[in-house]
Amino acid sequence: MLRFDAVSVRYPFGNTYREVLEHIDLEIDPGEFVTVIGQTGSGKTTLLRLALGQELPARGRVFMDGNEIREPDRHRGYVPQKYSLFPDKTVLDNITFGLEVQSFSLLGRVTPAFFRARKRFRAEAMQQLLRMGLRKEDASKYPDELSGGMQQRVAIAQALITRPRIVLMDEAFSALDPNTRAGMQDLLLELWRLTGMTILFVTHNISEAVYLGTRVVALSKEYEPEQDRQRGSRVVLDMQMPNSPGRHFKQSAEFARLVNYVEEAMEPPRAAGPMAAAV
Amino acid sequence: MSVWKINTAPGRNMTWFLSWFLFASGITLYVYTAHKRHVENPDDKVVPTLRQLTGGFYNAAFKPEADDEAGAGLWQRVRGSMLWHDTMASGRRFLISFALLFPAAVLGLHIGVFPYVGAFFMRFILFFDKIIALSVLPILFIAFGIDELSKIMLIVIGVTPTIILDACNLSKGVPKEQIVKGFTLGAGNFDIAYLVMLKQIFPRILNSIRINLKSVALFLFAGEMIASDDGLAYRIALLRRHMGMDTIIPYVLWVALLLFLVDLTMRFLNRRLHPWFREI
Repeated sequence: MLRFDAVSVRYPFGNTYREVLEHIDLEIDPGEFVTVIGQTGSGKTTLLRLALGQELPARGRVFMDGNEIREPDRHRGYVPQKYSLFPDKTVLDNITFGLEVQSFSLLGRVTPAFFRARKRFRAEAMQQLLRMGLRKEDASKYPDELSGGMQQRVAIAQALITRPRIVLMDEAFSALDPNTRAGMQDLLLELWRLTGMTILFVTHNISEAVYLGTRVVALSKEYEPEQDRQRGSRVVLDMQMPNSPGRHFKQSAEFARLVNYVEEAMEPPRAAGPMAAAV
Repeated sequence: MSVWKINTAPGRNMTWFLSWFLFASGITLYVYTAHKRHVENPDDKVVPTLRQLTGGFYNAAFKPEADDEAGAGLWQRVRGSMLWHDTMASGRRFLISFALLFPAAVLGLHIGVFPYVGAFFMRFILFFDKIIALSVLPILFIAFGIDELSKIMLIVIGVTPTIILDACNLSKGVPKEQIVKGFTLGAGNFDIAYLVMLKQIFPRILNSIRINLKSVALFLFAGEMIASDDGLAYRIALLRRHMGMDTIIPYVLWVALLLFLVDLTMRFLNRRLHPWFREI
């Protein structure tokens, strides 16, 4: 469904370039919950921006259902870590926004048909809101009156209501405290099981990646000793996870083993030296 | 002494006293000076007494009762007065210029949002912004005549570049996430520009206009003092020749009051229209 075809990204750096991603091949199938991990600067957010179409690759191409991605559109939903809600709109208006702009042009918003349809949108948005565990009275609040966790719930509801083909989440829970975060993870898993949607979830937290994903993709930079320069990140790990584990999974020995395994896979190869060569 | 402590704030009564102190001492000093000068010279015109000031204000604000219209009510006398006439003339110019600031803000938004529009206008407006509006006044008089249009153009040339650049900066300050989010929800380019960006920065644009109200008034006064036959600044310039301080000082305070009221109204409206905006 979403396909990265030999994608490389580099940014100008002085009078040369700094490689960020190098030759990424990745295909995401419908219904998958793919988590992408990597350390700071490993290009995982860049990968997400490529999927959005917010950024274009230097080499290679990114496809969505066979069409090359050129800019963000309604096929790919987006939940960022910050600024995910429109501060000037109430919770309910934030959720109906997508439905409104998809059905009506700017001028169409003054017609009676718009006001009739808006009633329908609002009812649908309210349903979605309640499903996300918010209360009815939250609907008329503004985003900054909600806690961080509640805001992200609204952001997910807002992204899901237009039924995108895939939801792209960028460190969506990273600003939340541990308890809220665990609650949001379970909520997201439940939504995913219920709707069968496709998710690409970027995080720097390995246990979050292992817990959420049906498939974990790790990005890491390689070090090329003879040229003594940092190269772009590659996919160093791409593995399937045990299916729908449930909450107790986090306490299991298998979970700890998996986290450990992924962590080791992400370690960059040791700096070169005679010892490393001998091994 | 706790005066120079950052973490110590004055109490209620102290705040009240401190905040009115300069007003009270200013008025006292004025009354004292006026009294002293009038003792020395009863015909002093430079520092009129409070009685002369109220008299001057009364004469300006109420048309003298003429014999032929003895029955004229208070309202008719106000409407026929010099102050009313001047306020209306200046107010009209002020409001027209004020209204023209809004399209300027919308232009600024487009410059900030659409790279093509930005490429077309940005450099020119940055240049235009550096032109001292008063220095092109002779050109304005030739191009637009010496009546209303040239005065309004003076204000427009003087203030709109600031508003345009500010609106442009404000729209660039909207987080990229908001724009991307809008597109992923299926919004079109103009949906993003107006429903996401403009709505979000509008309270800041209003604040920017509020801050620039003084510039508007400044250019208005410059225009009126140089070439006009009515208006508040025209009157001040005219009375200056006769040392008519008993009218000039009430006029100055009246203008300050009007500006204060416009600012207050805008602040009130801003808060009312944008309950989500917390930085007012």
